[in-house]
Amino acid sequence: MIKATVEPWIEEPLRTFVTDAGVSLALLLHPNGQVLAQYGFSRAIDIMSACALAAAIHVSANELGRQLEGKPFSGMHHAGKERQVFLAEAQTKRGPYIFLTVFDEASSLGLVRMYFDEFRVNLAKASPPPPDAPEPMLSENFERELNRNLAALFGRA
Amino acid sequence: MSDFTAVLDSLTRQRGVRGSLVVSAEDGIPVDSNLQFGQDGNRVAALAASLYRKARKSAQAAGLGGTGFMQLEAETGRLCVIGGDEIILVVVAERTANVGLIRVELLRAAESLA
Repeated sequence: MIKATVEPWIEEPLRTFVTDAGVSLALLLHPNGQVLAQYGFSRAIDIMSACALAAAIHVSANELGRQLEGKPFSGMHHAGKERQVFLAEAQTKRGPYIFLTVFDEASSLGLVRMYFDEFRVNLAKASPPPPDAPEPMLSENFERELNRNLAALFGRA
Repeated sequence: MSDFTAVLDSLTRQRGVRGSLVVSAEDGIPVDSNLQFGQDGNRVAALAASLYRKARKSAQAAGLGGTGFMQLEAETGRLCVIGGDEIILVVVAERTANVGLIRVELLRAAESLA
């Protein structure tokens, strides 16, 4: 069985979003690319790729927004022929997270945006305060943390 | 002022109509709207478009053909929707509003936008 979240407080807001918005894939990650929760993925390698790409798109879009409008873009939407991608930032007490979701004709951009607004509020409410002495995210720890999170999501922890 | 302003104005002029929206059928995003203060156009558009899409699919699945006019009765009002593949028109009306007139006006508006 695929576990949806690395940390339990994310589970309820994510489940509500997925159920209400009718999306096929969802991913919550730290801006550094570490996965925190997923829905709909069946392979760890796909999550790793999606996280790396989402983090890169997020940082590029933020910079593009700063250069064009003086502030980061708040979200991104790409409409493909059959599936669409929505990516946006969600603020929590533990800092900003990136949310990526994929949907098809069973949902719509309007529904995804509407339920994402609710998800963002629910996530912020559910988030615990940051730890007193947060562990610095060092590059040497990155792979270990990533593997630990993927193992937790795929029931190998 | 958009291409839809006149259409929305004529819909909202009907007695008992609280607001009207032109919505992108596929995305559920408002293209233009004429709403009263306190109505959340984005939410109404997203949910009404989703409802209309599902109603069309239900009618097709039941072998009933295309869907013309959809009406949702709620506790204190009605939601009337008409549309096509690209755009839908949504009217938010009071329960006492004349649905027949609203339907005629919606059909006329849809025709003018086609």
